[in-house]
Amino acid sequence: MATVAPPVSSATSPQRGVQPLRAGQGNSFLWRKLHSLSGIVPIGAFLVEHIISNFETWNGPLAYAKQVVFLNSLPLVRVLEWAFIFIPLSFHALYGVFIAFRGRSNVNVYPWAGNWMYLSQRITGIIALVYIVQHVWRQRFSGVMLPEHPGAAFAKVQHELSNPWMLAIYVIAMIATTWHFSYGIWLFAAKWGITPGNRARKRFGYVCAVLGIALCLMGLASIYAVVYKYPNAPENVLPETPAALVQPATATSAVSLTNSRSAAPRTTQSQPRSTPQS
Amino acid sequence: MPRTIKVEIKRQSNPDAPVVIEKFEVPYRPNMNITSLLGEIACNPITADGKTTAPIAYDSNCLEEICGSCAMLINGKARMACSALVDKLQDGNPDEPITLAPLSKFPVVRDLAVDRSVLFQNLKSVKAWVPIDGTYDLGAAPRQFPQIQEERYPLSNCISCTICMEVCPQFNDSTNFVGAATIAQVKLFNMDPAGSVLKEERLRALAGDGGVQECGFAQNCVEACPKQLPLTEAISDVTREVIVQQVKDFFTR
Repeated sequence: MATVAPPVSSATSPQRGVQPLRAGQGNSFLWRKLHSLSGIVPIGAFLVEHIISNFETWNGPLAYAKQVVFLNSLPLVRVLEWAFIFIPLSFHALYGVFIAFRGRSNVNVYPWAGNWMYLSQRITGIIALVYIVQHVWRQRFSGVMLPEHPGAAFAKVQHELSNPWMLAIYVIAMIATTWHFSYGIWLFAAKWGITPGNRARKRFGYVCAVLGIALCLMGLASIYAVVYKYPNAPENVLPETPAALVQPATATSAVSLTNSRSAAPRTTQSQPRSTPQS
Repeated sequence: MPRTIKVEIKRQSNPDAPVVIEKFEVPYRPNMNITSLLGEIACNPITADGKTTAPIAYDSNCLEEICGSCAMLINGKARMACSALVDKLQDGNPDEPITLAPLSKFPVVRDLAVDRSVLFQNLKSVKAWVPIDGTYDLGAAPRQFPQIQEERYPLSNCISCTICMEVCPQFNDSTNFVGAATIAQVKLFNMDPAGSVLKEERLRALAGDGGVQECGFAQNCVEACPKQLPLTEAISDVTREVIVQQVKDFFTR
């Protein structure tokens, strides 16, 4: 049978089906590559930091509190938080949802490994997004303010995980997030041409798998430590020490600052603040 | 009674006509492929319930998996009709019907024939050719090293069947992704010593909307390609060069 000529009307009427490449037009290349890069730096880097920091829960509430104090003592910490976590994360999440809903997964027809991973990257991304929204809201922006009360960090998480549903959500989200990150590194390397050949991709796949499993196990160990290893952790292991006792007498401005902060109404402390304003 | 092959074919008589499924029973012969099956139906276009119908329209030409015309959905999966063997398709289940349908992501012309001109337009927009047609003699072509030849040869096997695009989850009317075949041809012609003169233009074209960035690396293309082109490798290599070109352009243009 002879090859059928394309419909004559295609020149005049709009073409049906998938449209041809818009050569050199639009900015989607930039946005897509920024999305890809932002998943590695800074979001991926932050995820690694977060899991390593949380692993301090293995050493107990005090060690964890000290880690929180350290992170909050970083210079320009609020600027760092917005510039390297919240803003890139929001972009990555929103653009990621946009990408996910434009794909037409077909694992039902082509059940191949790469195709499953394509779908898994979208599913784990959505799981991570939903989890992170509630996690940031409940752990960062509501309840005890941890930047001001680092000693309450362990207990805050422990209260959260005392709900078995929440524990299940944390475990699922830990697996989904580390999965998304480790396969994301693999995808980044493949798509940016760092691992072009089959062998390079396969080898790098093992590297990413080891990294992902290690991060996931560290995260799950931290959850274990919070829930089971140190039950009934004190509400605040670093109660705000009476300022006048530790501050040099000369640093009056610092004293008043510390006191006014610790007098905030929402503090939860195991030990009452006794010192009056100096 | 001699054995028959049951076939169910998704048909429509023109792009806007309603879709109907017609069933056929074709006498079995050993070593049939889907093209010969469709040939049998054309010889005797009577459906399984005895109704005379039109022969099935489909694209084909070489009948040996080299022209790329006869791609269709065979038992739901995109394959070449000429290299899809009935005995293998029915492996163990001779009563199981074989289903044939047109490729799902291209506009249907009639029955199993689809309009795949989007690939041709994509190849044109990335200038997938060696620009040697001119008004004067360009002299001898530059030398091609065997190492380059070896890397180019598999890419030159592309038969433009569009199966890589059909199976790609990112190739759809929402992304309007260019598809693996075009990206592989960019690598092929960028590696040609004479064709590389258009390298930058090709890389810039592929950074447009629907370009290389839309690849989601599901790797279906490389799994499904009937000619085993190293498509994912080509996508990796070309994307790297597109990124480098975009960065260069950002600072110099």
